Amino acid sequence: MHRFQLDLTLRRAEGALVRVLGTVERRGFRPLGVEGETRVDGDRWHLRLAVEGERAPGTLTAQLAKLHDCLAVEATPCR
Amino acid sequence: MNGAQWLVQALVAEGVDTLFGYPGGAIMPFYDALYGASLRHILVRHEQGAAFAANGYARASGRVGVCVATSGPGATNLLTGIADAMLDSVPMVVITGQVPTPLMGTDAFQEVDVFGMSLPVVKHSFLVREVEALPEAVRDAFRLARSGRPGPVLIDLPKDVQTADASHLPPHAPAPADALPAPLHGPLDDALALIEGAQRPLVYGGGGIALGDTVGVFRAFVEATRLPTVLTLRGLGALPASHPLNLGMLGMHGTREANLAVQEADLLVVVGARFDDRATGKLDQFAPRARVVHLDGDAAEVNKLRHAEVAVLGDLCLALRRLTRAQPDCDDWRAQCLSRKTEYAARYDAPGPSVYAPQLLARLSALAPEAVVTCDVGQHQMWVAQHWRHTHPRRHLTSGALGAMGFGLPAAIGAQLQDPASQVICVSGDGSFLMNVQELATLGRYRLPVKIVLLDNQRLGLVRQWQQLFFDGRYSETDLSDNPDFGALAHAFGIAAFRLERADGVEHALHCLLACEGPALLHVCIDADANVWPLVPPNRNNAQMLFNPEDADAPLPA
Repeated sequence: MHRFQLDLTLRRAEGALVRVLGTVERRGFRPLGVEGETRVDGDRWHLRLAVEGERAPGTLTAQLAKLHDCLAVEATPCR
Repeated sequence: MNGAQWLVQALVAEGVDTLFGYPGGAIMPFYDALYGASLRHILVRHEQGAAFAANGYARASGRVGVCVATSGPGATNLLTGIADAMLDSVPMVVITGQVPTPLMGTDAFQEVDVFGMSLPVVKHSFLVREVEALPEAVRDAFRLARSGRPGPVLIDLPKDVQTADASHLPPHAPAPADALPAPLHGPLDDALALIEGAQRPLVYGGGGIALGDTVGVFRAFVEATRLPTVLTLRGLGALPASHPLNLGMLGMHGTREANLAVQEADLLVVVGARFDDRATGKLDQFAPRARVVHLDGDAAEVNKLRHAEVAVLGDLCLALRRLTRAQPDCDDWRAQCLSRKTEYAARYDAPGPSVYAPQLLARLSALAPEAVVTCDVGQHQMWVAQHWRHTHPRRHLTSGALGAMGFGLPAAIGAQLQDPASQVICVSGDGSFLMNVQELATLGRYRLPVKIVLLDNQRLGLVRQWQQLFFDGRYSETDLSDNPDFGALAHAFGIAAFRLERADGVEHALHCLLACEGPALLHVCIDADANVWPLVPPNRNNAQMLFNPEDADAPLPA
């Protein structure tokens, strides 16, 4: 089981959050916790998402990176 | 000018010449703007037909297919066609009407959240809540649909946005597709070394070859390296069926020579393929001796299901041009693969008076070698894959990943409209055909010269075959022996129809069909118990194929 944190920068666009959460679950991972805020410039969301799953983290980050509203994604192992 | 009129002008500026749709309440301003416009609108008889027709148009042409529907049921009826485009990477822009913004979220008449419903099956989507957002949404929709790995993009357009004043908006400026990055030199060098060092290298090509307009370069690569090649369902035609290095389709209904080659190879050069379960069989036993060089434009496909020793990401054309210099030393291996091809060649001398569908399809493809063939889903789809003499992936339109029955007829309509001079043949089954049979009206209305070959076994044949083989012959709900009279049905739509019942009538019937000027249907009665062979059973590897037990030359099950 892999547990890791995703740090995502998203366009603040309608559907962006749902797309990310839906992709996480459809690709076989379970969200454990979500934190987020709007950045000062107002058109970006920064989202931290703790997830777990049997598959390699790279399989998920590669799918998230394809989302048009996902500007950056990085995975780090949870301690 | 209102938003709907602006959108029509934008579609024209984008180069759209044809769109497929069905009007309704929330999309009426758009249809009003279409009235008298230069765009050709094809009125289908069900929104699913619109989505599949746009899908077929896009698959055959490589251009973006466009379809339109109203809110609520119009939008939900599009979803299967959208999902099909997503799974098979087909560029489409889908426009749906939506209830006016003040009514959204109030359970208004014909209100559904198609934006939310479609999220898992679109590449991207836009809910345009104000007219000022329309230019960016339309520009990005077309750009995204055709960039990288293509896919469908939805634009949901509330009625009040369609009617809002848009005279202040700039004219639409099409945006070019984003170019794929050039592959890195390091992985290309590693790939070259692996190919040249392999003793049993094999090319495994998929649908990504046609998506990247890479067919010519792919053929040059195979011919320069003289590597034996297997293809996926959606890769068929990337190398002509007649090409000596083409071992045919791999996977569940693949050829024996293709599947054995995969299982014995020590290197797979994977080009635009994704280790789909229908291709691999039991994944952990797939190509057990092979290292993998994976070339793909979509980084998410690499290492998703099978580890790649070398990943070459980016533009396939650039990658293959570089790899064409490889000089593998594998004459014995190649000779072994090619001798199997001769040894295991398909036979068409089935005994008895009944029409043998594989023979009919092989003969039809010989009579119409340049035709675009569309098919539905089931046994006939696999027979087309196995026995049609494929010449190019854009001439073989099949619902590969979604496996959507009802795809064939509307896809043929789209394919015919993208090139009116082309010959388009729809091969269908009696189950699939009735799923979008209403599109016979579209065929008749526009007098499109599509030829339909309906292989009628009065069964849901592939499900029946599985029930026979894996469910102890418990034929649950697969009997369609109460089918309608398909000839009479075609006639009711003003379409010529013929009936074929005996093998000795095949030649005449095919000539009659192809000689028809307009649309025509050939109703072919085939044996209800005919099966598709070979078949890799579930949870088995690709070397464990089942063969026709009535074939005296068939090997015993592995």
